[in-house]
Amino acid sequence: MRNIEEINSRIENGDAVVMTAEEVKAFSAEHGVARVAEEVDVVTTGTFGAMCSSGAFINFGHAEPPIKMTKVWLNGVPAYTGLAAVDAYVGATELREGDGMDYGGASVIESLVKGEAVHLRATAYGTDCYPRKDIDTHISLNSVNQAYLFNPRNMYQNYAAATNSSDRTLYTYMGKLLPHNGNVTFCSAGQLSPLLNDPHLRTIGIGTRIFLGGGIGYVAWEGTQYKTTVPERNGAPVGACRALAVIGDLKQMTPEYVKALNFTRYGWSLGLGIGVPIPVLDEEVARAVSITEDQIYAPVLDYSVASRARKPVKEVSYAELRSGAIQLNGKEVRTSSLSSYRKARDISRELKEWIQKGRFLLSSPVEALPAERVQGPLEVRSREEA
Amino acid sequence: MAKSKYVLTFSPELVNEPITFRLAREYDLLLNVLRAQVDEGGGTLIMEMEGDRSEIEGALEFLVAKGVKVQELNYLITRDEDRCTDCSMCLSICPAKVFRLDRESWNVTFEQDRCIACGLCTDACPRGALRLAQPAIETE
Repeated sequence: MRNIEEINSRIENGDAVVMTAEEVKAFSAEHGVARVAEEVDVVTTGTFGAMCSSGAFINFGHAEPPIKMTKVWLNGVPAYTGLAAVDAYVGATELREGDGMDYGGASVIESLVKGEAVHLRATAYGTDCYPRKDIDTHISLNSVNQAYLFNPRNMYQNYAAATNSSDRTLYTYMGKLLPHNGNVTFCSAGQLSPLLNDPHLRTIGIGTRIFLGGGIGYVAWEGTQYKTTVPERNGAPVGACRALAVIGDLKQMTPEYVKALNFTRYGWSLGLGIGVPIPVLDEEVARAVSITEDQIYAPVLDYSVASRARKPVKEVSYAELRSGAIQLNGKEVRTSSLSSYRKARDISRELKEWIQKGRFLLSSPVEALPAERVQGPLEVRSREEA
Repeated sequence: MAKSKYVLTFSPELVNEPITFRLAREYDLLLNVLRAQVDEGGGTLIMEMEGDRSEIEGALEFLVAKGVKVQELNYLITRDEDRCTDCSMCLSICPAKVFRLDRESWNVTFEQDRCIACGLCTDACPRGALRLAQPAIETE
């Protein structure tokens, strides 16, 4: 019905029809999927939640005399530097050395985006070409040459909800879980979530231009643990399924959409805002973006069973999860979202505005992401079995 | 009319006495039990008293005479609005329903008056936005 080139020329002419995922669902409910396909060019999605598999590559620039860093700490948080001389990668979940869980890699990334100075310490063994053995200095986003997020797994397509049937409080990456199924937490942005509006990734692939942390980023690869084998309801997978690796310039990002999150006794994660535009190429895409929260389901998992083989307690819709309480074993149990629906909506609106103002054009994927992918477990194996 | 919250600590011998009943009847107070806990060491009651200021004062004197330890509940949850992201993690944790999700704006609203200072939310907030602290003193 329309291709990306046609959509982009309409964006450039200022007459593209852009709706947020919420708006298009309301439009679809009133006028039907066919009208969505006929009239809407782009649907903007958004999510803001904990994305643990995130981190930033930084190039510090060369010192005088030069150093080939072998250990690097940013505000006391170790960064990986088994790379060229002054390149390092600071992971969101890395903890500062020596003080438990008070500060982490995500905190460093948040500080950088806020424009704050960050303490850099590095040591080295010294070589003929890089004689220096240590450096103690400060950096900021301004002073470093490159700083970009390169996140191996973000934007999970759906995710399980969590509860706890044991008799003690559990502290997890799904938040604080009260005993005796005292609460249920969930994290997907549901109907606003990017990959739930394009469940088979017809329009999203390698190279897709996205909203990342308030700046422009790109889909780099399939996310780690990307899989396609999750059962679907109403065309959307029930549980964690596809995910994306994304990349984007930290210097473009804003504190509003890059925030360190601390989960007590679990550790740090990066709260990151991502938005993906979905071109309405045809009626199939139009149908996919019309999905609503009563049609998207998540399994409820009991986190007191610390096994990858735990079975869902039940399946619930996002409409139920977002209502404030769900029924669990005949009891009303209150729910909490770990991701901010308000921010997800802000992102979908901001991306819509960017497109309407012609600041953001859509891109065709350079490559499609895998149509089939199975995830294997990690077993303890001998060399011969590996 | 005045309204205040108190933490009342009872020794084990006092747990069986109908103290709250006498407070309501003899001092004409509206009592709202916010939290109650009894164990081998006695009992703790967090209670809101509403009524004439002089009646509340009389009730507190009665409690002290009975041997109940009385402390005004002078620390409540405060929220750092700049840190909050409106995720709603606190909603299912709080037993006093201090937090609500506005389903139009999707902001998490915060009613400090409802707080019973249990502190359960403080280590649940991933942004560290919630702390137990003394609220600003309100003058009548």
